[in-house]
Amino acid sequence: SSDDIMSTKFILKMAAVQGGMVDEKEEVDIKTEPQSDGLMNTNATDGRQLSPSPSSSSSAGSSKSAAGAPEDQQTLLAVLQFLRKNKLTESVEILRREAGLPEDALDTKGADCSAPSSGGTAGGVDGLDAGSLLSRVAVSSSAGTPAPTKVADDQPDVSVVLSAYSQQGDPALYKVYYSDLKKFIESVLDCHRAELSQVFYPLFVHMYLELVYNNHESEAKAFFEKFSGDQECYYEDDLRVLSSLTKKEHMRGNETLLDFRTSKFVLRISRDSYQLLKRHLQERQNNQIWNIIQEHLYIDIFDGMPRSKSQIDAMSGSLAGEAKREANKAKVYYGLLKEPEIEVPLDDEDEEAENEEGKPKKKKPKKDSMGSKSKKQDPNAPLQNRIPLPELKDSDKLDKIMYMKESTKRIRLGRENLPSICFYTFLNAYQGLTAVDFTDDSSLIAGGFADSTVRVWSVTPKKLRKVKSAADLNLIDKESDDVLERIMDEKTASESKILYGHSGPVYGISFSPDRNYLLSCSEDGTVRLWSLLTFTCLVGYKGHNYPVWDTQFSPYGYYFVSGGHDRVARLWATDHYQPLRIFAGHLADVTCTRFHPNSNYVVTGSSDRTIRLWDVLTGNCVRIFTGHKGPIHTLAFSPNGKFLASGATDGRVLLWDIGHGLMVSELKGHTDTVYALRFSRDGELLASGSMDNTVRLWDAAKAFDDLETDDFTAATGHIHLQDNSQELLLGTYMSKSTPVVHLHFTRRNLLLAAGSYAA
Amino acid sequence: MSSPKTLPKDAQVMIQILKDMGITEYEPRVINQMLEFTYRYVTTIIEDAKIYATHAKKSTVDADDIKLAIQCRMDQSFTSPPPRDFLLEVARQKNQTPLPLIKPYCGPRLPPDRYCLTAPNYRLKSIQKKVSSAGRISVPRLSVGAVSSRPSTPTIGTPSAAKAGTPVSLTGQRFTVQIPPSSQTTVSKTTTPFTPTVSNVLINPSLIGSKNILITTNMVSQSAAADSLKRKHEDDDDYDAL
Repeated sequence: SSDDIMSTKFILKMAAVQGGMVDEKEEVDIKTEPQSDGLMNTNATDGRQLSPSPSSSSSAGSSKSAAGAPEDQQTLLAVLQFLRKNKLTESVEILRREAGLPEDALDTKGADCSAPSSGGTAGGVDGLDAGSLLSRVAVSSSAGTPAPTKVADDQPDVSVVLSAYSQQGDPALYKVYYSDLKKFIESVLDCHRAELSQVFYPLFVHMYLELVYNNHESEAKAFFEKFSGDQECYYEDDLRVLSSLTKKEHMRGNETLLDFRTSKFVLRISRDSYQLLKRHLQERQNNQIWNIIQEHLYIDIFDGMPRSKSQIDAMSGSLAGEAKREANKAKVYYGLLKEPEIEVPLDDEDEEAENEEGKPKKKKPKKDSMGSKSKKQDPNAPLQNRIPLPELKDSDKLDKIMYMKESTKRIRLGRENLPSICFYTFLNAYQGLTAVDFTDDSSLIAGGFADSTVRVWSVTPKKLRKVKSAADLNLIDKESDDVLERIMDEKTASESKILYGHSGPVYGISFSPDRNYLLSCSEDGTVRLWSLLTFTCLVGYKGHNYPVWDTQFSPYGYYFVSGGHDRVARLWATDHYQPLRIFAGHLADVTCTRFHPNSNYVVTGSSDRTIRLWDVLTGNCVRIFTGHKGPIHTLAFSPNGKFLASGATDGRVLLWDIGHGLMVSELKGHTDTVYALRFSRDGELLASGSMDNTVRLWDAAKAFDDLETDDFTAATGHIHLQDNSQELLLGTYMSKSTPVVHLHFTRRNLLLAAGSYAA
Repeated sequence: MSSPKTLPKDAQVMIQILKDMGITEYEPRVINQMLEFTYRYVTTIIEDAKIYATHAKKSTVDADDIKLAIQCRMDQSFTSPPPRDFLLEVARQKNQTPLPLIKPYCGPRLPPDRYCLTAPNYRLKSIQKKVSSAGRISVPRLSVGAVSSRPSTPTIGTPSAAKAGTPVSLTGQRFTVQIPPSSQTTVSKTTTPFTPTVSNVLINPSLIGSKNILITTNMVSQSAAADSLKRKHEDDDDYDAL
């Protein structure tokens, strides 16, 4: 009877195709509607709404009866099918007679498969019977897709039980299907082969997960052994995780895997290659694979030349495939905010002209190089008030003046003029140094350690002082000019101070721009705000209940972002105990979070090997960058805000153009995880530090120089990466077995590096 | 390090597991740690399963008991982060609210006191009750719109540090004192810090003398509750500069 089932399904499918419902734009993500009846608490259906396209010609008329049937009907049909399959014909007759079901109801293969996916509410599907049919047809093969095992496990529902049996594909045939596809793709023209080979990995994983989910353990193991070796080398880690996953129970609790199962793997294939594939799969009798492809893959078709293997390799590697083109189409304001003009006091400090919009100035201000010369708004820069930013206080203005003074003494770096590197080595840390940060003026250095302490050192000869106790403060002369020095306690001045408070290793540290606060985030799930005036903890921000991997203050202070194991990044303000924005979308932990220089965007790097750019104002993801083959550990924006550099465990540093959403360059050279990246103050050089104990300097100006982004590139996302890593590499500097954890360019362009000595 | 031949079987199995998971470099103590975890976990599960079996009046522990035990432990100790659609929904709601405007000139921008770690974490108890004869003596606040904890020093709000503890310009106004029980006071624990304040007042004659200011004690005896040492501004949700 399984043949009958298959042929019936095939007929229905062909009817659907001929009915013109399935058209060229095969983004017919066959979606099932969200379950409201709670039968299957399909957490899985976040990406799924009923596909509108099959709303036309519902050629599958015979399904109408089933579609219109209520939940019980579905279950009955499922039971009938089951009995029939097991050749219990007499029982079938009796049941049918008693239930009063029409003869032909059995023939709709869709019926029993519908149970798991549209259980019951299929009837309420806006009358889109054909739609539900198609969904059933597609879902039938992947009957386990009502993924969230949590609720599915708890409900010993008939339909759930039957879903395993009514699964279309015979588990033993999976190997056959896959081999067939492999043979086909190997026989295809060279130019198409690279593109179609992209299908292998997601298909393999989904088929394997199908088998595991439906408890076909031995078939799953055999399937895995046979084909896991064929996959691309950069998927090795994922495959290893999969190999240990042999039972359905193993999948429970592994959120990343569940997300993978329910989200669509995106592939970019040219139209010609796609046609080839489609034609081949639809010709065959058992288009099991076609079903899986429609169910789990999102194929972003573009018109144009098929891509070469190297182009594909550059962009692939992430857990969710590549990025859809429309994911990268939103406008991003990557320009910098206008700096307020501050008069450098020639004599005494008078009023300072803050608003530069044509305000008549009495004194002639010494214009700083930061302020833009033109009064027009840069079209690529966000408006000043796009997001609320704290106003400048007097002390901030003083800081800015200092900054300007220092920048005049800045060394111009370039190919001919490389910076000196000063390395701060943490001794006796016993591999416990987990985070480092410098203040912007390089006066303080903070280290976060695995023993949950945070230590702050003074880099300059000036010692660290805290404010006196209240009783002592009573005694000082409050009228004196140097009251700010008098409030500091000389007795406890020291080179370094230790901050206790966390209950787990400290994974991220960030100084505030005004040097009053220090943030630290830790494995205990909290982000702590420390005061650098009293060296005590002020606030503990609780929100992530899982380890927080990284945190950073905004360049203007007040806001900070944190990202952790719960796969979201959160935007906080220091005066709110709850986050202001939640950036959810990654499939795995968020390992690195950075603000854009204009504070309007946040970039997050994740263990799912993608980088996402988020808009602070709306919380939307505006860019997705794929291409890394390992979890991303460091991100750096260029000072002009246009470009992003990222480093991951695969040792590569990738450069991205934010405006266009494209990869610009690939810097190969490091042999181990890149943990630190920093652009020089003018954006001329990029410094990268890695676990392989080296610091490398790259010519960023040259890498960004010859960018031709024509319309074609922007439209299709094709990139032609030159293999010029060697030309861009300006220098490699080795340390004695000290991995580089942090890099920082001083205001005068001296490079500071930090790491802990690993004997 | 003993050679693999002499290692106990469990350790050899653990080494193999680590190898299968692709972990090639690890300290030798990792094996011990992993084995300890394994023993502890399995023991806990089996004990739980035994309890469930006896509860169900079964003579032997069977697979269902084990499954139940594992499930309960998973929800307890090994929780996993929330599922994606839940996060997306929460994010959608959170991201809809516009970003709050920033109040200008606020001093350190911190959440309301209850969410900060700046409250005192101890209470003083007096050994004797002294009658408060001198009436209410008030000393102006020493901390200005700032985080100030009794035991530690107050931070200085940024706007004007010079204001710290300046009673001068504020004659005629009454302020509640936040006289920290500094080291000079007795170590007595009382809800009525009357004794300490008296001594404090004596130490700061400059305050009393030339400025015509009333000094009151922070009479917290009324609120016998544990949070007696809360600052008077506890009703405010935000810090306000004085």
